[in-house]
Amino acid sequence: MITIGAVGDVHLDKDAAGTLRPALGRIADKADVLLLAGDLTRHGTVAEARVVADEFGGLDVPVIAVLGNHDYDRDAVPEVTEVLADADIHVLEGDGVVLSLPGGTLGVAGVKGFGGGFEGKCGSAFGEPEMKAFISHTVAAADRLRTTLNSLDCDVKVALTHYAPIPETVHGEPPEIYPFLGAYQLGNAIDCCDTALALHGHAHFGSERGVTPGGVPVRNVAQPVINAAYASYRLPASVQEPMTEVYQPT
Amino acid sequence: MAHEHATEYAAQHDVAPHDRAARLRRALAEDPRTSELGVAISVRGDRVRLTGTVASAARKTEVDVVAQEAEPGLHVTNDITVVSAAEPGEAEDIE
Repeated sequence: MITIGAVGDVHLDKDAAGTLRPALGRIADKADVLLLAGDLTRHGTVAEARVVADEFGGLDVPVIAVLGNHDYDRDAVPEVTEVLADADIHVLEGDGVVLSLPGGTLGVAGVKGFGGGFEGKCGSAFGEPEMKAFISHTVAAADRLRTTLNSLDCDVKVALTHYAPIPETVHGEPPEIYPFLGAYQLGNAIDCCDTALALHGHAHFGSERGVTPGGVPVRNVAQPVINAAYASYRLPASVQEPMTEVYQPT
Repeated sequence: MAHEHATEYAAQHDVAPHDRAARLRRALAEDPRTSELGVAISVRGDRVRLTGTVASAARKTEVDVVAQEAEPGLHVTNDITVVSAAEPGEAEDIE
């Protein structure tokens, strides 16, 4: 078994420094790895990234992250990524990592993702250049996620995004803003290749649990949704183990 | 009578309640003191109720200040809570 701890949307800055650390200090008792689903900072400044590094650095489990829209606000993504990397927080953007854990090998494919909406109620790459750029950003992110998931050689694959891949886990948000919360292309990418679990954040008023059209469990781990320092999910070491069904007539 | 109240208020102030909600949403998102997208805004007449969660008590106060500055004519009810950072319960088994 592999147990994954996950949280997103912690929006750290000096005023909230240290709030998560008491729970994180004991995370090795409860999880094998910690995944961060973006919006780690308020504005994406280097100073805020240092607060994130202090909060999530030096834990007894590996820490893997994607960034969110807040982390992009000050156009300092390379600097933020470097500060986090210095604290051994591995930031993914269109790539992946395979970890050897006691319960097996875990592959994580990570991408921020973007909006556009969900099946039947979504934007198209048509018309103004701004609209084409918007949707093209989403499609490119989904393509990188699919390629990375396909390439991971491991026992268990997990997809990590900031934006939502399905509408079920944003349920609770106003329907009018769904196109700004996620995109169906991310869900289609997750369905490509035996993904065991998809984790995202972004939708603070959303719901924790959902499933992709292809049957992959999805969890919205935005801190306001899980209302804890992190949530944890236990996965069997191999999703491809043959299932034995026992039928007992009554 | 809430609707009549809202209509009367809008007539006096030449702005509809949903426009006030939109202006507040932009202020809370775009003012660097708040940068909050996760606050729900409900305007009824001259009252606005704010709900949602933020990362610290200081941010709850900042939301109050920015909302009051953006719409000084509105009475703000701040029902925002600070998010829990407690340890989680048992892990969920993903089948």
